[in-house]
Amino acid sequence: MRLLFTLLIASLVLQSCADVSAAMFAGGDGIYDFKNEWLEPQYHVDETKIHLMDFQSDDDTVYSLYLGDIAQIGTDTIILYLHGNAKSMDQFWETAGLFANLGGSHHFGFMMYDYRGFGKSTGRSTGEESMAADYDAVVSYLQSQGLTSDRLVVVGSSLGSLAAGPAAAGGSSIPINKLVMEAPQSTANVIMQNATGLSLPASMITSYKFDIGQNMEDYTGELLWMHGTEDAVAPIETAEAAMQKHNGSYYQEAVYDGAEHGLRWDIGDEEWSKVVLDFIRH
Amino acid sequence: MKINFFAALGAVILAASCTPTKVVVPLQEGQWQIGVTQGRPQVNEDYLPVLGAYAAKGVSSTKTNYGGIQFSSLLLGAVQLEVGSVVSLIPHDGLKPGISYSYGAQSFLSTRDYAFRFYPEAGLNAYLQNGPHILNVSANTWVDPTWFMTDFGRGQLLAPSFSAGYRLRYKWFEAQVEYKVLNPTRKLQIPQNIIPDTFGLGGRGMYLGVALNF
Repeated sequence: MRLLFTLLIASLVLQSCADVSAAMFAGGDGIYDFKNEWLEPQYHVDETKIHLMDFQSDDDTVYSLYLGDIAQIGTDTIILYLHGNAKSMDQFWETAGLFANLGGSHHFGFMMYDYRGFGKSTGRSTGEESMAADYDAVVSYLQSQGLTSDRLVVVGSSLGSLAAGPAAAGGSSIPINKLVMEAPQSTANVIMQNATGLSLPASMITSYKFDIGQNMEDYTGELLWMHGTEDAVAPIETAEAAMQKHNGSYYQEAVYDGAEHGLRWDIGDEEWSKVVLDFIRH
Repeated sequence: MKINFFAALGAVILAASCTPTKVVVPLQEGQWQIGVTQGRPQVNEDYLPVLGAYAAKGVSSTKTNYGGIQFSSLLLGAVQLEVGSVVSLIPHDGLKPGISYSYGAQSFLSTRDYAFRFYPEAGLNAYLQNGPHILNVSANTWVDPTWFMTDFGRGQLLAPSFSAGYRLRYKWFEAQVEYKVLNPTRKLQIPQNIIPDTFGLGGRGMYLGVALNF
């Protein structure tokens, strides 16, 4: 008992409580060399419609890319893409080209942005608050340009689902009514429990307690969930359980046998585009 | 070596789903052993350092009690303590292996929200001892009495591990090396990282330790 007591005291004295949530984000350098020469011909864009912008998010600057006519944000349908856990928007330039040609050349406006600490965006992403602030900075701009809920489509891909979930659950200044979740995570606890095989809650290592299942329960709009059965980054069993909590007006799922986390690469652009486009037009 | 959030989870795996076997052969009555352990669970191609310390005391000629702490969990905000006993069941006799068993518990306390988890554990060791040389194989399992508190019902009642090790034990000093297969009953996953597994399940790692006897 004396030994146990000594260990307990020692642990309380020694523990420094580092939070690993900031380290969860794999942001890195970005060049933002968005040119057609890096795209397959079918995904070329009108280079006059490439707009690199920056917004203030708390004390940091968040960089974003808009493809389309800024003057038409007030009338166009806009796809807001929340990208996955790669260094910067550079890694998603091809995805941007695909979206810019979805349903025809520049049929939809497209926007994506780098979270804090990704690409040229300053600061560090640290969890729910920073993700929400960055999202809000971008959406507030779109709102100021006249975008309304009926013309907003949010696509949360992998890490982006962590920002898309709370936004869909009421955290967006433009209410979301069309949401695509591509290979989403589920809860912070699931990540901890899948890593340890034990019933440990995420609070053992982080204060970032995202719960996309709860977000889906609170989301009233339309949802398209896309996932591969062999996804080792966001296991399908738990993603499915989270997505099926959705309680909104319309639910559609597109699950692909054998596909991994890089869903679009595994199923091909044609299939991916068709499913997303059908959902948007639904 | 790139360490990100998910690799840090690896550090907790290691600290969490498994800690090194502290004592295989009970100490002499009244003898103390204080040691530090470095778990080296494998994530991707790297071995993560998981640091811990323990103290053990021979309370009789056949029973040793021990207590330990994991510093790696501590640095991430979880107080992980363990206590237990190792009891000699069959003493070794020449080439006939000795058998010992262990029982104890691990506890985790989050310093953020004071979430608490408690995992009883039990193990069985078989060892050969020749002078200072000790070879052992061990099987151990943690019991998860709160398996039902996992999200989406993903919990399991048992978290077993299997290990083989070598210990060099002198009067004042002991060195330990152990290879461990972790939780081979389920797939362990860390997003964007690979946990080398055994037949598609669990994890594995090398554990090192040094201790002073007095």
